[in-house]
Amino acid sequence: MADSRGNFSNFGIFTAGLIRQNPTFAQILGLCPTLATSTTAENALGMGLATFIVLVASNFFISMIRKLIPTEIRIPAYIAVIASFVTVIDLFMHGYTYQMWKTLGLYIPLIVVNCIIMGRAESFASKNGMFKSLLDGLGMGFGFIGAILLLGITRELFGSGTIFGYTVWAKSYEVFVFVLPPGAFLVIGFYLALFHYIGSRKKAKSTKKA
Amino acid sequence: MGKYIKTALILASLMIVIGIILGLVYMATEKAMAKADLNAKLSAIKFVLTNPRTGKLLVSENQIPTTLAELDLKIWKSSRSGILYSDPKYPGFVLSPVYRFLGKNGEKIYVLTGFGVGFGGRVVTVAGFVQQKSGFYENAIDVTDYSNETPGMGAKINDPDIRRRFFSIPNSGFEKGLKVNKDAFLFPLPAGYLSKLSQYKKKGIVVTSDVMTGATITPRAVVNTLNAMYDFLEKEAK
Repeated sequence: MADSRGNFSNFGIFTAGLIRQNPTFAQILGLCPTLATSTTAENALGMGLATFIVLVASNFFISMIRKLIPTEIRIPAYIAVIASFVTVIDLFMHGYTYQMWKTLGLYIPLIVVNCIIMGRAESFASKNGMFKSLLDGLGMGFGFIGAILLLGITRELFGSGTIFGYTVWAKSYEVFVFVLPPGAFLVIGFYLALFHYIGSRKKAKSTKKA
Repeated sequence: MGKYIKTALILASLMIVIGIILGLVYMATEKAMAKADLNAKLSAIKFVLTNPRTGKLLVSENQIPTTLAELDLKIWKSSRSGILYSDPKYPGFVLSPVYRFLGKNGEKIYVLTGFGVGFGGRVVTVAGFVQQKSGFYENAIDVTDYSNETPGMGAKINDPDIRRRFFSIPNSGFEKGLKVNKDAFLFPLPAGYLSKLSQYKKKGIVVTSDVMTGATITPRAVVNTLNAMYDFLEKEAK
């Protein structure tokens, strides 16, 4: 497990965020942008990648400066670092991925207040070295991309009958509620239940074996 | 005391470093951002100068601006305040500048940018109006900013199938004020309404409730913008 103690293998730190400590399905963090921007697979991928870059960069940078920052001002300092990376992403997206930037709109600046990023900065990057923090950022980032993409694909498929804009089935099979806010809660509720069920079964099996 | 000063200095230094880095990144991306904004504006202008039925340009190809300098030559009216007109009846605004082009048949074509208030803020629309003997005919629109509208609902406003509902509106549609069908009490929609969309447009009704279920505020913002544009042209261009 990749916790604040940092006494786990590099592989363990990297893989923790993918499934066991997945920020969305296990830690249930940063749900607001996850639910709001997962209306389509494309939007979900855009938001996932933007968050991934900020998470990896801020984890690395915060770990680098952790010994220079006094404890009393660590939170404003971390927020300033995270906000800077978000601004950089916002500027680049404006310049080079204009349509995606327009579509995601307000949710890009709001990455600053995503609990996943602040949470990893506070619980991991501020207590571990640069390499481990980078691995943690990568693992959590990929975990977040996977989770938001899963939601985006599901909602687009059932709500619009397409995946990444490619038609999968006829319009008559569309269930419009999936692209609406209640649909986001239904889908995430379903996946939370599914992952919880899989986790419980695994746990029960390992207990039996023991 | 010394501890506080040290803390303040560390925080200030961090902010200075961040400020310098962000300044450099802004300088590096400034041109790309300006180019992206200009390209979006130019493509919107070209789009509203195209006949939506035939797909052919209403103006000759060489009239379509490709640079900011060429675009500036097409300015017909502008205002330093940034707003040329605000409709007293509807919350719709016409932004500066308004461009004027000469059509293939010698008619004047106005390209206006305006905004109405949507669910989360401004909904910015670019529209092309052709000056005909009977009055101003709205050719096509492009909704260029709807970033604060709800994804999956109001944010669908610029989807081709939805945007098309706002195309080809004659001046008769604007005389009493353009409305979305719910505001015109055309709801629920009658059978065979799809074949009557043009007739509804002549009466000033834009049907959107079937393609934008649950989202009335965003199309209403577009309609208010178009009303403001029409009023502006009636006052300034006739």
